[in-house]
Amino acid sequence: MGSWGIIEMGAPLVPRSTQIFLFLRPWVLPVLLLTLLEWAARTLAPDSDAVAPPSRAFLAFGQALMVSSEEGVLRASLFTLGSAAAGLLIGLVLGVGLGTVLGLSKRAASMGFLTIEVLRPIPSVALIPLSMMVFGFGFRMEISVVAFATFWPMLILTQAAARQVEPGLIEVALALELSPWARMTKVVLPAMLARLLVALRLGVAIALVVAVTVEVAANPYGMGYALMIAQQSLAPDLMLAWLVWIGVVGYGINVLMLRLQHALSRRMGEIPQAQRA
Amino acid sequence: MSKQRVKQQLEALGVLALFIGLWWLASDQAWVSKVFLPTPEATLGSLIEGLHGDLLAFSANTVLRMLLGWLLASLIGITIGALVGSSETARAWIGPTLEFVRPLPASAVMPLAISLFGLSSGMVLSVVAFGSMWPVLLATVHGLASVHERLREVSSALQLSRSAFVFKIGLPNAMPDILAGMRLSMTVALIVAVVGEMIASQSGLGQAILLAARSFRASELFAGIALLSVIGFASNALLALVEKKLLKWQTH
Amino acid sequence: MVPTELLRFEEVGIHLGGREILSPTQFSVTRGEFVCIIGPSGCGKTTLLRAAAGFVQPSTGQVRCNGQVVTGPTRKAAFVFQDYGRALLPWRTVSGNISLALEAAGVPTEQRAARIAKVLDTVGLGVHATKFPAQLSGGMQQRVQIARCLAQEPELMLMDEPFGALDAMTRESLQDEVSRLVQETGLTVLFVTHDLEEAIYLSDRVIALRANPSAGKPSLAAMIEVGIARPRDQLLTKEDPEFLRLRRELYGFLGHH
Repeated sequence: MGSWGIIEMGAPLVPRSTQIFLFLRPWVLPVLLLTLLEWAARTLAPDSDAVAPPSRAFLAFGQALMVSSEEGVLRASLFTLGSAAAGLLIGLVLGVGLGTVLGLSKRAASMGFLTIEVLRPIPSVALIPLSMMVFGFGFRMEISVVAFATFWPMLILTQAAARQVEPGLIEVALALELSPWARMTKVVLPAMLARLLVALRLGVAIALVVAVTVEVAANPYGMGYALMIAQQSLAPDLMLAWLVWIGVVGYGINVLMLRLQHALSRRMGEIPQAQRA
Repeated sequence: MSKQRVKQQLEALGVLALFIGLWWLASDQAWVSKVFLPTPEATLGSLIEGLHGDLLAFSANTVLRMLLGWLLASLIGITIGALVGSSETARAWIGPTLEFVRPLPASAVMPLAISLFGLSSGMVLSVVAFGSMWPVLLATVHGLASVHERLREVSSALQLSRSAFVFKIGLPNAMPDILAGMRLSMTVALIVAVVGEMIASQSGLGQAILLAARSFRASELFAGIALLSVIGFASNALLALVEKKLLKWQTH
Repeated sequence: MVPTELLRFEEVGIHLGGREILSPTQFSVTRGEFVCIIGPSGCGKTTLLRAAAGFVQPSTGQVRCNGQVVTGPTRKAAFVFQDYGRALLPWRTVSGNISLALEAAGVPTEQRAARIAKVLDTVGLGVHATKFPAQLSGGMQQRVQIARCLAQEPELMLMDEPFGALDAMTRESLQDEVSRLVQETGLTVLFVTHDLEEAIYLSDRVIALRANPSAGKPSLAAMIEVGIARPRDQLLTKEDPEFLRLRRELYGFLGHH
């Protein structure tokens, strides 16, 4: 394929200064923006209810860390993460379970098609009032909305993953006379794993967003609620702190999921592009 | 239509009918209290009654908010996305910050918007626009960044100007991504519109179902949910149709 | 008077990724000449071609086209890529793809249709003008790319293993088509290939490159004139004693040992 292949093999050593530059570069714009905000908030809108200098927000966050009430950082974050995780677990188990069945059986897929297409478009936010009516406020209300929201993408993606399993692999499993259970656990599920990990990553992201949304809209617990309370108490520094914290948590978890996905994929024999023959 | 296709469709309909039947049983037989689960016919009744009444106006409000916000978001998102995505330097410096904003829930911006604009229709619209801007912006950046090296070389071999590259090669190449992003944006727009109506007590389906839930009027609540589903489904289906038409060249 | 020399490599050396891809190489190409470059993988033949196109800047020496130093790609040197699938715009029809070259050159809209039709006729794709690349076979897609290059009305055509991804039959028919085209238009061609027979069949001169150049063994291993008469034939030419002699002589340069 021409002589370009060899260019990739001899990767030049990256000088230390370039490494440092590449490490710092993503931070330049955020730091610039924060500095701008600090100056603008102090000089242009010192008494604003909406904007606050990042330095004050940082202090407010520090204070909130110490607090152990509902609006304390630890309790609120744990609530949101906990309900997101619990809701995801339900949505995951049901979605992957049903998705695998539908993916492997064309008949089941075509039978369930209409029902799925009717139920899937229901926006999860529309269920917030229903959930509130049934469960009141708290854990169960949030978990059920998250479960609904994550069920559908897990279902669809798992179905696709199961459908795309190499038919030859299943034939090999049949030829080896593996039991249906062994077929599933030793061949089908591992073959689906790469796509399932991607689906999981998406599911985690959705779970977090939906959890926070439920809290902003109705549920008086968690990070979303703390954010709303900060706004209502006209504490723009705390509001900014929560907004950034929510962003950080979301970003951090996504990064973790990405690492997890790559690590697991590699253990399952997926060779990164750069190392392929 | 082949016999098999007919059989398949009948089976699918059968499953749906089964599902509705179960719903009816659960409500009628009080397996679940009628306070929480209205019967299908009660829901339908409320729906028809509501449509003759306020529900139509509420739906229109929600749809308008969603569409307007989405249009604004798409315009701004594609423009900024094109500017950032077409320049490797811009992508390198600005990209990471954009990636940070990606997982942020759109609703989280609502308190800030309330502080700035108060509890008004304009506030909801601004959050809808801001929130639904990101999927299409990021999709545009990605679509432009993913232009294959070969096409860039063709562009430089033909000595195309930077803007010619963006309009003739970059954006068309990004089209599948942009359209998918716009579909996602539409979903976000509906969600944020509904949440906004709930929080800011703005006239619309969001407020309607919240009030129905608070007064335990289950059939009205379900009617509202059904309407929201129809809106979500229809907008998605329409966009998917447009997408298919515009991307005719893809699968041949 | 139009100068006869079109392209000149003046002691062009190229270092990439810490390795010497091409040791300082000197040669020139006259107008209307068909020159093939062969060599084993890693000998830098594609890099050499890209340097001629202006995609790669030499580390030492320079490339001159029409006497001017080549600093970047120009429309006067049309480049045909091996992966034709990636070099065509999938969202434009065949005519649309040809049109891109005309749009880039600022050809007025009224003139475009006629020129597109003419160039499509030349490569025999007239009936497929409204098809999308995905609807065409590999050979046809490559012809679209060649047609687009012709639409640029270039002085020089640079071809990077253009038929490498095609089956043998398509390859042969495209070889003959390109030969015919070049004879008709008087285009100058620099053609990279790893196929020795293709190189001898098509060219007026074959340049053989060496991989891993060192002190006593520069990149440029051999330069041999191909004196076989034109027009050439897939069957007869390949049985010509001169063809066989050249083949024997150049065989060693491909890295076979």
